[in-house]
Amino acid sequence: MSARVVEDVWRRESPHVLAALLHRYGDLGDCEDAAQEAAEAAARQWDHDGVPENPRGWLIRVASRRLIDRVRADGARTGRENALSAALPVDALLSPAADQAPRDEGDDTLRLSLLCCHPSLSRSSQVALTLHAVGGLSTAQIAAAYLVPERTMTQRLTRARSTLRTAGAVFGLPAPADLPARIAAVLDVCHLMFTEGHTRSTGDALVDSPLAEEAIRLTRQLHAVVPDHDEVAGALALMLLTHARAAARTENGDLVPLAEQDRSRWDHRRIAEGVRILERVLPRGHVGRFQLQAAIAAVHAEAGSGEETDWRQITLLYAMLARVAPSPVVTLNQAVALGMAFGPEHGLALIGPLLDDPAMRRHHRTHAVRAHLLEMSGDLPGALESYRQAAGLTASQPEQRYLNGRIRRLDPR
Amino acid sequence: MVKYVLMIHSNPQPWGHPTSDYLPEYQVMSKEQLERLNADFETMLGELREKGELLGGEALGAPESSRLYRWSDGKPLVTDGPYSEAKEHLAGFFLIDVESQARAEEIAARFAGPGETVELRPAMWPGGSDQ
Repeated sequence: MSARVVEDVWRRESPHVLAALLHRYGDLGDCEDAAQEAAEAAARQWDHDGVPENPRGWLIRVASRRLIDRVRADGARTGRENALSAALPVDALLSPAADQAPRDEGDDTLRLSLLCCHPSLSRSSQVALTLHAVGGLSTAQIAAAYLVPERTMTQRLTRARSTLRTAGAVFGLPAPADLPARIAAVLDVCHLMFTEGHTRSTGDALVDSPLAEEAIRLTRQLHAVVPDHDEVAGALALMLLTHARAAARTENGDLVPLAEQDRSRWDHRRIAEGVRILERVLPRGHVGRFQLQAAIAAVHAEAGSGEETDWRQITLLYAMLARVAPSPVVTLNQAVALGMAFGPEHGLALIGPLLDDPAMRRHHRTHAVRAHLLEMSGDLPGALESYRQAAGLTASQPEQRYLNGRIRRLDPR
Repeated sequence: MVKYVLMIHSNPQPWGHPTSDYLPEYQVMSKEQLERLNADFETMLGELREKGELLGGEALGAPESSRLYRWSDGKPLVTDGPYSEAKEHLAGFFLIDVESQARAEEIAARFAGPGETVELRPAMWPGGSDQ
């Protein structure tokens, strides 16, 4: 039996194993350590004996024993043993619910996600913890996805767990009034994970990050738990529709802009799924930013070619997005849509004020969009100047190569 | 997460680390002031490490110890440093990995000290947006 099989089982079962431990003893750090030891034991033992009939029960049993040992061992030092023995009926962990109805799996995932995305943590800690605890990724895998040394990621995770401990974060559902905001935080984390993964997936470039796939998996789980949450549905649709373009968005490591992508390489199964989710959720009335962004992605996905894109429809959607979630970046995208639908001067008029915003003036996309619109309007020297500014400001290698290419084309010297 | 390099440009006389021990701006300070600045700096480094934001860093040797390799007549031409005639030289660098540009700027401001210039530059990354 391969390590791959054990890893797959672990990825599937880890949130439930952790949830079972957390139900009885709330410290995420201790529970994760114990669960990790159980996973290592599984890798050794299942190799000989095969995967047990009830892998989850096996993992919970082994992890529980490790947890008790661990807490007893450092109980004297930390005084945490009392907390455990108070919370723990003697046999509670060792005979995990064999005779009880199985707990609700979705509930495990939701509670664990909420704990990992606790408001006391920074976004980056929330992301790392969620990938580790809910996604079942190893510290080494997360470190690789974020291109940092494993030791750095270990420190980030350790610090996050101790912050949770200090904040007194508990494994459970928040008050109903707080739930929407807490779910929104989980959603932000999934979306951040997705963006980081998707915008880095440059085909054969260094690391083909598993982050985007993982973000889709987690959002899918969240969607299954709260199917009526419109924005969770919207975010899932957005990720599916965006990631459907992954295969076509790079060529030999170079970025291919949307308009020039080979649309036959888009993943049409994912597009269909994203559109289906969107069609179910949009008529419900409440329209949030993820749904609107997904709707925009759907308009792009449904165009047979760049020229056939319904830019007027996209302009309307961006106008709605600008009302629901206004931001300079939305204004920038709105300017592109306006320029494509009604002519470059309409887009340029919208960009003007952004150049007075100190943050946007230093953002490469402001100048890149301006350059495109100026080029469309026939002002080539102006376009060249803006392309140069954009190329100087971006920290993305493919984007810099792309912008330098435009500069060479306009000014072949 | 975004990676940035913090470059510390300085001109300690004689060249040495920590650079603050060899800068005139620090020599006029009281002992208490110096100790507080040093303690603040150590606290900040500890915080960056603990948060997993500090990826690494090195203090560099004197500019005079550098060797410069230039291409000339189809082969490398080697001369002794320093690289530039500028008053300040690259004295050391830190590599950080942070949540946002705002956080990087906040850290850079805390690295700033009398007699030195801290340069914050984003590291290039291999991805990009297709829109």
